[in-house]
This record gives sequence, structure tokens and C-alpha cells, in this order.
Amino acid sequence: MSAVAAPTLPPDVDRQLEGMAPAELAVSVPTYNNVTTVSLVLEAVRAGLEKHFAHVAAVLINADAGSSDATVDRFAEAGLPLVRAAHAAPPAELATVPFHGVPGRGAALRLSIDVARRLGARALVVLEADITSIDDEWLERLLRPVLERGADLVMPVHARHRYDGTITNLVVAPLVSALYGRRLHQPLAGARALSAPLLDRLAADPRWPPPGRAMTDLWIEGTAIAEGFAVHEARLGPWRVESNTRTTDLPTMVAQTLGAVFAVMDGYEDLWLPTAGVAPLPAEGAPAPPSSEPVRIDVERMVGAFRRGLSDLGTIWEHVLTPETWGDVLSLETDDLARFRFPDELWARAVYDFALGHHHHVVYHDHLLRSFVPLYLGRTAAFVLATRARDAAAAEAALVAAAAAFERQKRYLVERWR
Amino acid sequence: MTRNAARDWYKDAVFYEVHVKAFMDANGDGVGDFAGLTERLDYLQELGVDCLWILPMYPSPLRDDGYDIADFYGIHPPYGTVEDFQKFLDAAHARDLRVIADLVMNHTSDQHPWFQASRSDPASPYADYYVWSPSDRRFTDARVIFVDTEKSNWTLDPVRKAYYWHRFFSHQPDLNYDNPAVRQAMLDVMRFWLDRGLDGFRCDAVPYLVEREGTSCENLPETHAILKEFRAVIDREYGGDRVLLAEANQWPEDVRHYFGDGDEFHMAFHFPLMPRLYLGLRLEDTRPITDIFTHTPPIPPACQWGLFLRNHDELTLEMVTNEERAFMYYAYAHDRDMKLNLGIRRRLAPLLDGDRRRVELLNCLLLTLPGSPIIYYGDEIGMGDNVYLGDRNGVRTPMQWTRDRNAGFSSAEHGQLYLPVITDPVYGYEAVNVAVQTRQPSSLLNTMRRLLAARRTSPVFGRGGIEFLRPRNSKVLAYLRRLERETILIVANLSAAPQPVELDLRAFAGVAPLEMLGGTVFPPIRGDPYFLSLGPHGFYWFRLERSGDEPYGIEGTAI
Repeated sequence: MSAVAAPTLPPDVDRQLEGMAPAELAVSVPTYNNVTTVSLVLEAVRAGLEKHFAHVAAVLINADAGSSDATVDRFAEAGLPLVRAAHAAPPAELATVPFHGVPGRGAALRLSIDVARRLGARALVVLEADITSIDDEWLERLLRPVLERGADLVMPVHARHRYDGTITNLVVAPLVSALYGRRLHQPLAGARALSAPLLDRLAADPRWPPPGRAMTDLWIEGTAIAEGFAVHEARLGPWRVESNTRTTDLPTMVAQTLGAVFAVMDGYEDLWLPTAGVAPLPAEGAPAPPSSEPVRIDVERMVGAFRRGLSDLGTIWEHVLTPETWGDVLSLETDDLARFRFPDELWARAVYDFALGHHHHVVYHDHLLRSFVPLYLGRTAAFVLATRARDAAAAEAALVAAAAAFERQKRYLVERWR
Repeated sequence: MTRNAARDWYKDAVFYEVHVKAFMDANGDGVGDFAGLTERLDYLQELGVDCLWILPMYPSPLRDDGYDIADFYGIHPPYGTVEDFQKFLDAAHARDLRVIADLVMNHTSDQHPWFQASRSDPASPYADYYVWSPSDRRFTDARVIFVDTEKSNWTLDPVRKAYYWHRFFSHQPDLNYDNPAVRQAMLDVMRFWLDRGLDGFRCDAVPYLVEREGTSCENLPETHAILKEFRAVIDREYGGDRVLLAEANQWPEDVRHYFGDGDEFHMAFHFPLMPRLYLGLRLEDTRPITDIFTHTPPIPPACQWGLFLRNHDELTLEMVTNEERAFMYYAYAHDRDMKLNLGIRRRLAPLLDGDRRRVELLNCLLLTLPGSPIIYYGDEIGMGDNVYLGDRNGVRTPMQWTRDRNAGFSSAEHGQLYLPVITDPVYGYEAVNVAVQTRQPSSLLNTMRRLLAARRTSPVFGRGGIEFLRPRNSKVLAYLRRLERETILIVANLSAAPQPVELDLRAFAGVAPLEMLGGTVFPPIRGDPYFLSLGPHGFYWFRLERSGDEPYGIEGTAI
């Protein structure tokens, strides 16, 4: 892997690297207008390095997408060796910022990987600039498995409220886990650590995802798993975000996240078609108790949206879903909330039908993705109804059962794919 | 089945008005038929409409294009048979399309057996089915509607040697609704079609059912009582999801009575709005449009207005002032042949000089103002007309499917067609047809599909209230449609020049408007007036949703 040619970096980055001492660790923080939170993240980096890696040479990388606030100025205040790797984000991602809040994150990751390799880093940590729950333990938990236990990719697991992350928990995580054959809790998480061999492997890949679909993180995970790199998870505690750039529009979130997974499925069949079964990943750190503060969820309205979807979007759904799935969805009891259920197997089939509909272009991709929202709301409502009177362990068990259905139904997907 | 199963499905529906004879000819005799219409249901489903309104389909001498019915229980033979109709209806339902049919309640053809019996035998049970009089001096306060052709509402029948009453053509004698047997007979007619699964009727000429001396013989309380009686029977016998749509070409405050207390018609056309949309567009002034809404009374919750830009009749100008009418003639009917009665006999696209931007703009208003829109067949592809075909035939020519012979409508000889296809160089079938526009992503047809698809994403359009914003620039029409927690803002430039506009949207401070047609998020609304610029005849559909509202409670943390 070390035979990979040195990457061509932008001239201004090249100039910064000239004469810079090699570094064992590289910490990249991609940014886009994060002035209110980035100092907090940088302080956690500084404190984490001081506490756990006091004698290790580390470099901070700031891949900025063109912030118009003072975000980039804050990096100078961190007191660490710094490489500024500004990039021009694609106009489409600036107009509609992807769910993770950073236009051109794919380019930011690419730059960070190239800089880390040039510096000879043993590991690259990527952190998000709008996370306010970060503390000085995060670096250590992400890095230690790489530095000491042979991990190549360390993904975070966060302690979240059972009804947080419903797109992740009910759709993306079970889907991606079944695709790749590893139980990934948060495949869309932005924080992660990568080993030098994995950096070399990724840098050498001619198939880097194109901009515009937020596919890069998912592609990295898929590539690492498919090629036998050691993937671990690190429990990092709570996950709170304060962002001006992440969308809070539910249909947009669904379209962007699910769209990213579907695009990876279309573009990188070799990463997921051959796998079967889902194996757990080694996890670092002690499980933290999930947040249990009460949340107000309007289940009735969610079921109402699902019901409205049945009447308004039926013309799309019946193109996307197989007749059997469509018939089963139509027969769900929606009039009586107490009896509303969304069976796990039906849900997995519905999600796979949408993946297939995306693959076979049965309707415009954006229509297809947005029409998924009421289905997702129906599934989420059913999950809340089934677990709200039960404890956190029961809710977790329900998620595990839901994920298992994706694994069982994967053959259904594969058979219809080609 | 995904048909909107709500009893008040008509509130969300987009209607499509179609002539059987004009849509598709399956048997090659030059006249469209139910078999042909059935073949084209996929097209209508893909267009995104919900309910077809079939113009008169009954046996008729066709002296008023089928509004002169000679047998309420049959299908006009060139259109097919009752069995063909049944197959069509079932196929439409299988595609989640509903179907309503025209029914002329006020009169029949003079060829109808009821009239033949009535005129020839005073002892017949049908003798009293029509309004007979020895004198033509009764009901003299009633106006003559077809002023271009009729001198009086009475015509002397040489057989019965008495005058019969007719509000429309003299070959269309009015039924006598004071006779209980007539009311029973018409109810039986309705039952016959509803039993076959028909989803309702568009009831023609309803204000004229009953005559009383010393009145205009329009909108009489006795007429309303009869209509309520019909509605009650249909609701009782058919479970309450069949719709009755009234044709009452009257001012909104008069039409309002046809909704009763939600116990008469479900729907009625909003006649006065339509000419004012054209007026507003031509004057580049929002006031004709906003004014008519201040004169539109609220209607019962289960009722709905039917909105349209054009239909099978002339663009009627009965519901405008003389001054406005003169301006409309000046603006839209520069040629004498374009006028008919108190109206203009042209289709949408040629009325607007073929200006695609204006066609889209009026369709934008049609689809977003309060009511259920009704699209006239062919207007979704911008079909033209032929004013030289006489009467209203110019807007009833064959649907233009392809650039093949007879526009792909029929395999008959050209001369055999019921009306010639449009062949002029601008609107002719070689230039304007479904096949070409299907292939072209930016065609009017595909734009209409997109607008209809966007309309389907929210019940606000069919069910929400309306609130006009009053920007200083009176060339820009801006209104909010609201339903529960959902708000949609429509901004439309009536001018042919680009326009700036400042909107007072302080109530939505913090919201980033989402433009629904392009999916683009606009800059957030702050405390100041919200500034927008619009291209010539441009429009925006914005969804105004507060990100802080968290309507489901999961948005903030869903990923």
C-alpha cells in the first residue's frame, strides 16, 4: 500500500506542508459556518491530545467549504500545528446543504486523507464542527483502537434517546448493516478514525464518489468492510448538535440520507451484493445510559401523515412497491391507533422496494425519495406506539428485531436487483 | 386501490372535462367513443387528474351537442353502448379515477319520447311532463339566455297547438318540475347510472327548474327544495360519497344558495372568478381577482367551488360588468367570429396568444386558488381552436395525440371526422400533440404534470383557507393558503415584465420558505419585508414551515 504515489495537493496546501515535520496523528475538522461551536470542538481536541497523547506529534487540518463567518480564524487560536485546506464546494451542495451540514464533505475528506498521508500519520481522526457534546475523551476512544488494537476504521456509537435518530435507527442503520454484513449503529455519523493502511487504500481508489450525493462516508465504510479492514465502534456518549447549516426539514433529511444509501447501492454493487449475514462489530468504551428525558411526539399526526400518504402518494407507491408489499401496506390498520402496527418484515421489504425503485428508475428519484416520508412516519409512529410504555432495553430489543428483518429479507433485494 | 376514500374526496380532486366524441375513436368511424376513452385512461392517470367529467353521452339529435337528450337511459350510439360505458367506468375505477357525467335536468330534446307523447296526447301520462301554456305572455320577467338565436322563451307547438316553455333553444322544452312524476322520473334516471358505479353528476342548468309568475324564474326557493330532495335521496341510497356539481351561471351570492346548508349541491362552479383571472392578467392588476373573493361568501364545510379556465362553452361574460365585458372583447376577441352570445368561443392557449408563460400562470392560479380545478381536455397541451366551425364547435375538435393522420385520434377518412382536427401552423396537431410533449421534458404537458403532482402533495390546496397579502406592487398577486399547521404561499406576477415585490411575512419570521416546484430553500424570513423578484408572469409556490415547530417531535434529531 505504501507504494501509492504521493497525491497532488492544491498548491497552497503543498506550500504549508513544505518543511512541516511529520505527524503521527492528524485531526481533521471539516467546517462550513460553524463559528458558534467550532471553538468548543477545538478545545476538546486540544485537551484530548494533552491528556491522552501528550508526546505524540499531531496536526490539525481545517478543510473549510467557504465559511463566510469567522470559523477559520478560530483554528489559529487552538495552538496546534495547522494545515488549512480550503476547497470550493459544489454549487448544488451550497444551495441545498447536505444533511451533515458541510457542502463538499467528500472533497474535505479527500483533502484530509491526502494531507494525513503526506504527513505520514498513523491515524486520521475526523470530527464534526457543530457537535456540542464532544469532550476530551472522544479523541482517545476513536484513536486508541487504531493505535493499539489494529483497527482500521473506528465508527462512533452515541447514547441517544430511544426516539432520537429514527431515520438512522429504523431505516439507514438496518439497511446499511444488512448491505455490508456488519452491524453499524450510526453509518451516517461524521466522526471517525482511519488507519494509515486504510488511508492508503482509499487514496488509491479510482472510484471516489462524485460530489452531490453525500456518499463518501458510506463508501468508505463499505470499502473498509468489503476489503477486510478491521472496523470497530467506539462509544462516545451523547450526541448533541448546534448547526445553522443542517436541514431540519424532514423530507429533505429523508431524501438526502436515503438517497445517499441508494446511490451507493447503485454505484458500488460489489461492496454489498456478495455479502450475507450481519456480524456484530467490536466496540470500545462502556455503554452509557441512553437519555431518558421525556419527549413530546405527536404520534397521531404521524399516523395521519401516513394515512394521507396512502391516498395522495398511492400513485407513486404502487409503482415502487411490489403488489404484495403494496397490498400489505394498504391493509395496515390506521383508524385505531391502539391497533396500528408496522411489521418488521413488511418494513424491510418496503425499504428494499424503494431501493429497487431507485435502482430501476421507476419514478424520478426525488419523487421516490420524498414519497418515502409518510411511510417512514408510519413506521416511526408504530415503533413509538410499541415501545413508549416499555423500558429502554425493550426499545433497543425492538430495534435489533427490526434490523434482523433487513438481514432476513436481503435475498429478496438481491434477487430483484439485476 | 388508492382512490381517495374520503366521503368528501371531491374537495381534493382535480377534474378533467372531456367529450367522449373528441378524445379517442377506437372503431374508426370518425367519432370518439367509450372504447377509445378507455384506451386513453393511462394518459389521464399519468397526467395526475382524479375525476373525469364526461360531457353528455346520451342518445341525442345533437342539436346542442348532446345537451338535448332524447333518452336518459342509453348511450349515444356512435359513442358505444351502456356495456361499453360500464367497461370504461370499471377501467377508470381500476386506475383510481372517478367519473361524473353530465346530466341535463332542466329540459330534454324535443325528440325525447316524453315530449313526443306530451305534445301529441293530452291524456298521456306525459302530458304534464313539460310546461305548456295557451299564451306566450306568461313568465315575461324571465330573460332570454341565448340572445343570439332565440327571441322568446315560448314556442308554439303545431301539434299540441299550445306554447311550451324553454329557457334554452326552442328544441329543448323545459321539464315541468311541479309535476311529482317528473321528479320521480329524473330520480330514477340518476339511480340507473349511480347503480352502475358512477361517482356523481354535473347537473346542467339547475337554476331554471321551476317557473313562477312575476319572478325571473331563476334560483326560486321551489327549485332549491327539489334539489335538496334529490340530494337527500342520493345520500341515503348511495352512502354519501357521490357528488353533485351544479352548473349555475350566477353571482356567487346567488350560487351560494345551491350549497344549502351542505344539503343541496356538493360543488358549484365559480363562474365570476374565471373572467376576472383573464382581466387581471390583461390589466396586469391583481384587483379584479382579489375583489371577486371579497364578494365570494363562505360555503358550508363539506362544499367546494369548482374552478376552471375554459370549458366546452364560450368563455362566458355574463358575470362581469358591461365595461369589463367591453374590455374583455377588446383584449381577447378582436375578431367578431370569436364572440358568441355574451362570451368568447376560444380555447385557453389561443386566448393567451399562445404565450406559454401566461398559460402556465393561469394554470398556477387555477390549481392554487380555493376550490377544485377543472381542466378542459386538450388545454393541458395547449390545443388551439377553430372559430370558423360555428357555434362552440371550435373548442370541441379532436384531441391531438400524435402527428399522424387525424392527429392519432381516428383511423377514419379525414372527411369522416365529426369535426376537422386543428391544422393551423401554430396550434395544428403536427406541432401540438401529446406524443411530442411527452418526450419533451419542458413541454406544457410535463409542466402540467409537475404542477398537478405538486398540488397533490398537500391538502391545503383543496381544503385550506385563503388570505391575500397586499403588496404595494399591484401587479403581483400573493396569497396564503392555510390548513391546520400547514401554510403555503403563492406569489404570481401578472405582468409581462419582471417585477419586484415586498411581502409582509413577519408572522413567519425564522421560516425558510421552501419553493415547492424546484425544491429550493429560500433565505429565511426576518422582521423586514420579504423581498422577491419575479420574472415575466413568473410564480412561486412556497411551503412555509417553521423548523422550530417540530410538528412530529422527531425532526430535530431524526438522523
